[in-house]
Amino acid sequence: MALLEVKNIKKSFGSTQVLHDISFDLNKGEAISIIGSSGSGKTTLLRCLNFLERPDAGTITVDGKLLFDASDKNKFSEEEIRKRRLHFGLVFQNFNLFPQYTALENVMLAPKLLNEGDDAELKANAEKLLDQMGLSDRMGNYPHQLSGGQQQRVAIARALALHPDVLCFDEPTSALDPELTGEVLKVIRELAENKTTMIIVTHEMAFARDVADRVIFMDGGVIVEQGDAREVINNPKEERTRQFLSSYSKK
Amino acid sequence: MKTRCRKIVSLILAGLMTLSLAGCGKQSAAKDVDYIKNKGTLVVGITDFAPMDYKDDDGNWIGFDADLAKKVGEDLGVKVKFEEIDWDNKILELNNKTIDVVWNGMTLTDEVKNSMSCTDAYCTNAQVVVLPQDKADQYKDEDSLKNLSFAVEAGSAGEEAAKDKGLGYTSVDSQSKALMEVAAGTSDAAIIDLIMAGAMIGEGTSYPKLTHTVELTSEKYGIGCRKGSDLTEYINKEISKFYSDGTMEEIGKKYGVQEALIKK
Amino acid sequence: MFVEVTLSLLKGFLSTVELFALTLLFALPLGLLIGLGEKSKIKVISLPLKFIIWVIRGTPLMLQLLLIFYGPGILFGYNVWGGNSLGRFVAALVAFVINYSCYFAEIYRGGIQSIPVGQYEAGEVLGMTHSQIFRKVVLLQVIKKIVPPMSNEIITLVKDTSLARVISSYEIIWAGESFIKSAGIIWPLFYTGVFYLVFSGLLTLLFNYIEKRLSYFR
Repeated sequence: MALLEVKNIKKSFGSTQVLHDISFDLNKGEAISIIGSSGSGKTTLLRCLNFLERPDAGTITVDGKLLFDASDKNKFSEEEIRKRRLHFGLVFQNFNLFPQYTALENVMLAPKLLNEGDDAELKANAEKLLDQMGLSDRMGNYPHQLSGGQQQRVAIARALALHPDVLCFDEPTSALDPELTGEVLKVIRELAENKTTMIIVTHEMAFARDVADRVIFMDGGVIVEQGDAREVINNPKEERTRQFLSSYSKK
Repeated sequence: MKTRCRKIVSLILAGLMTLSLAGCGKQSAAKDVDYIKNKGTLVVGITDFAPMDYKDDDGNWIGFDADLAKKVGEDLGVKVKFEEIDWDNKILELNNKTIDVVWNGMTLTDEVKNSMSCTDAYCTNAQVVVLPQDKADQYKDEDSLKNLSFAVEAGSAGEEAAKDKGLGYTSVDSQSKALMEVAAGTSDAAIIDLIMAGAMIGEGTSYPKLTHTVELTSEKYGIGCRKGSDLTEYINKEISKFYSDGTMEEIGKKYGVQEALIKK
Repeated sequence: MFVEVTLSLLKGFLSTVELFALTLLFALPLGLLIGLGEKSKIKVISLPLKFIIWVIRGTPLMLQLLLIFYGPGILFGYNVWGGNSLGRFVAALVAFVINYSCYFAEIYRGGIQSIPVGQYEAGEVLGMTHSQIFRKVVLLQVIKKIVPPMSNEIITLVKDTSLARVISSYEIIWAGESFIKSAGIIWPLFYTGVFYLVFSGLLTLLFNYIEKRLSYFR
């Protein structure tokens, strides 16, 4: 059984329908890449998974447990939503680190507030994660003292510190200077090699092809094509996918 | 550090004192009449205070004091300009030479006489207690006033009267503010000039429900010049002249203050 | 004479400082409530607050003082303040608290609005409660943002306290002016400026210190 099952998700903002009937599965240890032009609904889909938006229809199931069902009209308590969203982690395009905390404190803050262990334990864990991100010499730095690539790696460590079942990336390199994207992609690649379950929204086609197990191509709020990463990117079956990919390679 | 602070403070103070002293330099004040003749205008500091100084329908300043000042201006051969001032700042204004004379039904208190050179009194006035009409019957004599709270103009003859009689009072910044205090009930009563009371309260005024009762003190009006000014003597002479040629009587009748004039 | 004047002015200055401190004590939290209320999605709360802020910021504080103190007696025939010096002080305090709350509210609102929505979202996806997000993430950033405009406003308050004299709530300027009336000397009035300068100087140092303490992040 798949770790994550997304079924028939629909979402409108006012009269604009952004997501039409989105369904897909994700297995444990699998990395999936979502590609598509801007406005195709990729980011909205990630935000729905992280409970930052509430879908109008559909269900989200993790590990056999129904997390969200739009037909259930009961309003969940804030407490309940908080518990459920912890199945997911989210890395933002703009990092959104907390500026008043050091790299280490950024990583430790949430586990500390959730009482996930004593300070020494949490600190050791955070240091391990930052070390893994190649930031062992940057732990005491504040975000404004770090480069964009370093900030994004801190943000990844921060998301990992809560041990999410599924880690989501929302265009993790789009806000970075080209020479800084490599260090972030390298870290994500290592996560994939370590079988971290991930959903990566990205514009880096080569990266999607090489790192992701599967690729989903979205356009106009629907999934146009999905399948094996190399297959979809090297030999797309659908005309729209082909157009999108060729316009990309021209750039 | 400490001594340096003290030095700075004393420097600032020295600067301020020079400023304030410069305004009342005796030498220039002694030649005030020449100074005024030379610049061609006599600037009269006033407030809106009927019937002594107030505006007619066309916005020109008239009143007993205003008309008298115009007569003096004629004899000096200069134009008379009326400048409306904050009564609290009258001494500042004089010393700053933004006005040449304070001519506004000014009661000759010790404070006034200490800080200005004043003419002989030309008019008598009384300080009266102003009360809401419905309370007037209970407060007919001085003894009954002890438990009331009063509003008086700071530095006015009314304040002196309140102090002398041992009354509880609050100083406010003008006589009209004192009336507002009574109307608002924030003070039980006010002490103001009889002449002002006649014009400001009762039927047909802004304060129809107020009336005046006990007369506390009577007082004399004078005109204030800069300390050491020769203008004081000049105005004194002018006023004796106006008494003898009947001008005083005539203007007094025009504004209903003829009874209050001090005949010489 | 100098000592006598200084002591008298110090006494007046004490009232000034009392009015200043109590205004801050009440207006800082009240301003936050108004600022949050003004942002509220509930129109019944936000619209009246917007109206009040418009009126208070759009009229002179002096007029508000006169209206608050004399208004009840003149308009409704009922004096709520009493006429003694305590009543006057309380009326002045009420006027200052209302006035400054509205200015502070705008500063708080600006500070809160300047925090990017991503900060809230980052807190949310990390499983924080709304109050944790406010206390642990947003608050310090807001404080850093509002310290400069707040210090401006607070130093203005030091000087604005002199307006209390229009309802005869005595403060240092009144004490200074009283020497003109009683002794015919003018310099005490200007000397009051030294007290204001020293006080606002100390406040400036304090705010510089706070700004410096918060400069470790951006």
